[in-house]
Amino acid sequence: MTDLARDAQGMSDTPEEREFELRAQIGAIWSGGRLFIGMYTFLLASLAFSYFYLRSSNNGLLWRPNHITAPTAYGWTIYSLTLLAALMAIFGQSRLRRGQVAEWQTAIWVGVVASLLALFLQIWEFTAVPFFPGSSGYASTFIGYSVINIMTIFIVLYWMETTVARSHRMPKEMEEINCHLTNHPVAQAFRANVASMTYFLGFVALSSTLLFAMFYLL
Amino acid sequence: MTISSEQPVGVSVPEAPEPPQFVDPKPAESGWFSQHIGTAIICGFLGYILGHWLGNVIGSNYANIANSGQNSISAFMALLFMVIGWLLGIGALNYPIAKIFGREAKGEVEFTGWTRYLRYNLDHKVVGIQYVVGVLVFFFTGGLLAMAIRTELLNPTVHVFAADTYIKIVSEHGTIMMMMASSVVVGPLGNYFVPLMIGARRMAFPRIEAFSLWTFVAGYFVIFSALFFGGFPTGWTGYAPLQTQAGPGMISYLFGFAVISVGMMTAGFNLAVTIINYRAPGMTWSRVPVFVWSIIATAALLTLASPVLFAAGTFGILDHTAETAFYVTEHGGSSYLWENLFWFFGHPEVYIMALPGFGIVGEIIPVFCRKPLFAYRIAAAGMIGVALLSFFVWQHHLFQSGIDPDMRPLFMLTTELISIPTGFIFLVGMGTLYKAKIRYEVPMLFCMAVYFNFLIGGVSGVFLSDVPVNVTVHGGFFVLSHFHYTIMGGLIFAFFAGLYFWLPKMTGRKMNKKMGLWHFWTMFIFFNLTFFPMFIIGLLGQPRRVFTYAKNLQTLNDFSSIAAFCLGASFLIFVANLMWSQFISPEKSPSNPWDSLGLEWQTATPIPHYNFERIPVIMTDPYHYSEANAPALADFGKGPPVHAGSTTASSTDPDQ
Repeated sequence: MTDLARDAQGMSDTPEEREFELRAQIGAIWSGGRLFIGMYTFLLASLAFSYFYLRSSNNGLLWRPNHITAPTAYGWTIYSLTLLAALMAIFGQSRLRRGQVAEWQTAIWVGVVASLLALFLQIWEFTAVPFFPGSSGYASTFIGYSVINIMTIFIVLYWMETTVARSHRMPKEMEEINCHLTNHPVAQAFRANVASMTYFLGFVALSSTLLFAMFYLL
Repeated sequence: MTISSEQPVGVSVPEAPEPPQFVDPKPAESGWFSQHIGTAIICGFLGYILGHWLGNVIGSNYANIANSGQNSISAFMALLFMVIGWLLGIGALNYPIAKIFGREAKGEVEFTGWTRYLRYNLDHKVVGIQYVVGVLVFFFTGGLLAMAIRTELLNPTVHVFAADTYIKIVSEHGTIMMMMASSVVVGPLGNYFVPLMIGARRMAFPRIEAFSLWTFVAGYFVIFSALFFGGFPTGWTGYAPLQTQAGPGMISYLFGFAVISVGMMTAGFNLAVTIINYRAPGMTWSRVPVFVWSIIATAALLTLASPVLFAAGTFGILDHTAETAFYVTEHGGSSYLWENLFWFFGHPEVYIMALPGFGIVGEIIPVFCRKPLFAYRIAAAGMIGVALLSFFVWQHHLFQSGIDPDMRPLFMLTTELISIPTGFIFLVGMGTLYKAKIRYEVPMLFCMAVYFNFLIGGVSGVFLSDVPVNVTVHGGFFVLSHFHYTIMGGLIFAFFAGLYFWLPKMTGRKMNKKMGLWHFWTMFIFFNLTFFPMFIIGLLGQPRRVFTYAKNLQTLNDFSSIAAFCLGASFLIFVANLMWSQFISPEKSPSNPWDSLGLEWQTATPIPHYNFERIPVIMTDPYHYSEANAPALADFGKGPPVHAGSTTASSTDPDQ
């Protein structure tokens, strides 16, 4: 955002140029968010490929001896909390579009707490897995899934927290209480960021569902 | 001037809003106590010690680690904390940390002079030059290791290195060179020139751009650290089960690739978003320079293929530290899983390296032929075609291992298919050269060499895609020669073409032509004398990565080794030229010494901080050389529009 401000102050001299820079900046947030999802899809696809490759290979009949499963209680809780964070972001954005900034902030803070809990539980689950990491193909991929899920939840947590923290600081910096919904460049970039974050969280909800089904239900 | 562009979906744009007034709570400080490469080294070193200690604490709780004498956990933790410390020390994490508190970046001091190159700088031009230095350090490190390899191969029975040391040198050489090659054009020339070529004043995400650079540098330290951990014996491909049996040096390889992949992802991400959103008004897709087309195709590959490498590296690290069994067949994993993941990244990686080289050549030859680029749209389509197809060929690397034999013809076909769009790009070059009055300046000579070398590399690649040939020559020097012809003969020659072409714009100083010619001819001749005999050596049966060979191959090997030493010396001519032209006896370059119509040449030299005084409005593509009634190139908002058809483009540079 400060880049935007710097642009507006130093780089863009004419109103047309300022407008061009703003459109480009908002377009970058928009397309950057989508590209990030593409990037993340390939990361998760690598995990899914590993899962199905080892499952179909079943080398030494060691894909999943005795159909051993990671603790489902942890799995359900982590999945539910991740889903809750995503739903809060989606619900929050609908409130923000209707001008309810405080409700959006509340929803995002709930999402932050949910993802924080999910992160803690995902790490703690390592102490509760009933298998040695290298005991089977399933065990290995589950550990890999856990590590990637920690990373995913951390990204969700960071994005939500920084966005909501920004929303609290914006009125102080702009000296305007209801600045979030204005046409001010900073507010527009903020809303583009919220939109990208919500879109990513929707993607996380979908991918979490698929991965949860793979590792806990199949 | 009227600027118009399409409005992004779902976003309303106000009419010329007033800029916000920010109060910077604490301005950044300059001087020795601010963040720079020195603090990064100190923090990286401290991080290394902390991580090593922490890893030992964790490892000591496990009897199998405590009694093994090898603690991969401490090796990994040391490198992880080293990278974090490095990024903290250089200042890459200041902004992400400030964001946690809702702050935006504090006012940044505009560093001037040479010290800005030692800092976390957000100017894409500074980052571009930082990348130049970075890739050259990578390149010369890898080159020295190549000299060691050729020294060992001088004699099949008298050895300089032990067998295991030799394979570790080969592995380190290959890995460093591949890491370097993935960024050698995108990093320095992509970051420097893409905004200038599309008429932008900045990158979309300058912090992400700087982050990619400093991650790339961190990756160099990580992979180099393998030598201190005892190296790794797998070659650059890191195949399991050798990978899972190797010592802590393997951690450097796996983590190094993971770190570099983060740098590649972020670099590609930033470039793609910049090209999509920051093209100047009027810069439609049909007017985008061919180099920018090559960069966006490469950026797509970087952002989509690198996550797979990151995942593969992470799983490998888990095998070594958490004792999972991703790549351990005996425990339910599969060594072929690594091969699949690695090559799913690895083959697009080949085009990550090749495409920017094609882009450079496509950009340079019209300038020296004074002709429009032949079949511009075919060139762009060829690059996109290569990028798309590159995701469907990786299994040809597994023709000898882990693939159902019935699947081989399919991947043979897809691999042969990719030669079609590659051929398009090649023919675009030939069409441009046809009946041209060529000016044989140093950059043009390098471009001609790219076509010569890549023809040999490309045709031998078509042979290799054929299953029977592949089965015959796999794992030998024939393959080695093929990929050196494509990567070094194509990409590295193109990189030097780009450097000689654009350095006068980057630094405002001319390169010495005579020394440039010496560099070119020695590099071209000795490159071919080094690698062409390797085709024969390979066909006669010499395997790769083995430090001894049949006595009857010594003459050819000696010939190749001596040529390789001369090739190494040719790079010293480049270094001498660089030092002489840029520092010892600098000579000011005109703003547009090659009379190029490229947008990057139309701005002043040295390039202003914000690139263009006014955002230009683009009126046509930059290839209308020697056309009598060519349309105006662009409106720079000041003075008459620059005309494309003129043999000497007018410039906004007051010096010209």
